[in-house]
Amino acid sequence: GSQKSTGAPPIERPGERRVAEMKKLYGQDSAKILAIETAMQLTFDRNCDRKQPKYWPVIPLKL
Amino acid sequence: MQDAWSHLGPLQWIRFVNKQIKVTAGKDEERRGWLVTVDPVSASLVLVDFREDGKMSVDMVMGHAVEEVQVLQEADSETLDRLQNSLILPKTCSLDA
Amino acid sequence: SISMSAASEADPEEQQREQHARTTLRERFLHCLLAMTNKKVQFHMYEKVKVEATFGASDIDMLHFQVSDLHTPIGVQKEALIRCHDVISLTFDA
Repeated sequence: GSQKSTGAPPIERPGERRVAEMKKLYGQDSAKILAIETAMQLTFDRNCDRKQPKYWPVIPLKL
Repeated sequence: MQDAWSHLGPLQWIRFVNKQIKVTAGKDEERRGWLVTVDPVSASLVLVDFREDGKMSVDMVMGHAVEEVQVLQEADSETLDRLQNSLILPKTCSLDA
Repeated sequence: SISMSAASEADPEEQQREQHARTTLRERFLHCLLAMTNKKVQFHMYEKVKVEATFGASDIDMLHFQVSDLHTPIGVQKEALIRCHDVISLTFDA
């Protein structure tokens, strides 16, 4: 039979190291920043998956 | 001067917020506007300029391109109000510290 | 990548002030990026390159801008990725 998973995609859970890093940088409000960043990165990744954008310009202007 | 801006750090950057500044970037680009924020990750600046039609023009200057930042003037209370209520800012994010 | 300043690592009170400032600045910046979504943005790039595109998203490390309908000197590219290091500044109306 088919091995296709029917479950929902795993919830994005930032790694413990990242949580600790964020805590050191942003202190008590780090969870808020982490939440916005996670959502933003997810949007970026999803857009790139869906639209398959190509680099422009092809060669970097500045190395 | 290059790189100096990137290395200032949050406590220095935040002192420029709500001031009208002139940024020189790249070879010969110059931007003026009220500083809304500085990204602590990339040192990029966000400047706004209020136009006569009631709209705002927003400039983001990449931190790596910044050559020089110069303060032109402090905001009066009316400008502070407009900055605080601009649509590009989160509602809860006042500058109290 | 960012690091704590030497002074703030020694002094907890100074560290808290720095964290608070960093949080305010970063939250405001992320909000500005979100405000650019679906806006027409002008990119001023190195080598005097100026292009316009509809802003999609950026990665959180500020390395790439994902844009649509990029008007290049030789035509329109439907979907594109612009390297932040190629960019000097960008402008949009709000």
